[in-house]
Amino acid sequence: MATSTYLSNPVCQINSVDVTDQVSASTLTRVIEALESTSFGKTARVYVGGLENSTLTLTMYNSFAASETFATLSGLVGTSTTVTIKPTSAATSATNPISTLTGCYLETLPIVNAALGALDTIDITFTGGVYSVATS
Amino acid sequence: MIYTIASTKLGIIGDPYVPADGINVAALLSGGFIVEQSTPKPKKPAKTSTEPNEEI
Repeated sequence: MATSTYLSNPVCQINSVDVTDQVSASTLTRVIEALESTSFGKTARVYVGGLENSTLTLTMYNSFAASETFATLSGLVGTSTTVTIKPTSAATSATNPISTLTGCYLETLPIVNAALGALDTIDITFTGGVYSVATS
Repeated sequence: MIYTIASTKLGIIGDPYVPADGINVAALLSGGFIVEQSTPKPKKPAKTSTEPNEEI
């Protein structure tokens, strides 16, 4: 049975800062841009791989307290950094690989997402960078 | 430049911090996660009472 259940253990770091306790959802998508190479004589479109353009989207609880979400992210807007995420807090291994985006770019940062009676949450997306995965 | 960890989100407070490749140090400084540690200046040599080229 091939399933991965995420309860409370995933570990996420942004720019070396452990933000695990502020993240409630994450999606890491590896993207290799498709370049069309269809030519005369073909009956179907064909593609070749282009540049890598992976993304990591995080849903975070917004906090302006010291060493929390805003302090971590405010200096990163418009710059590149490194983010890592792994399924559980256990030691890195073949069954608990750590994924890294090195040199990914943070384009936007929602400052306030306020709703009456609700926690302030923000969605941020890191784009680009070099994807790597380590098992040890 | 030498940095010291100032937040438990990054490690043990007071430990030296060596940024890995791709880490945005300016963001860590502005967020208060690390602080710059001033490097001690080398001591000046003791003053001599006579000029080096002075004939005795």
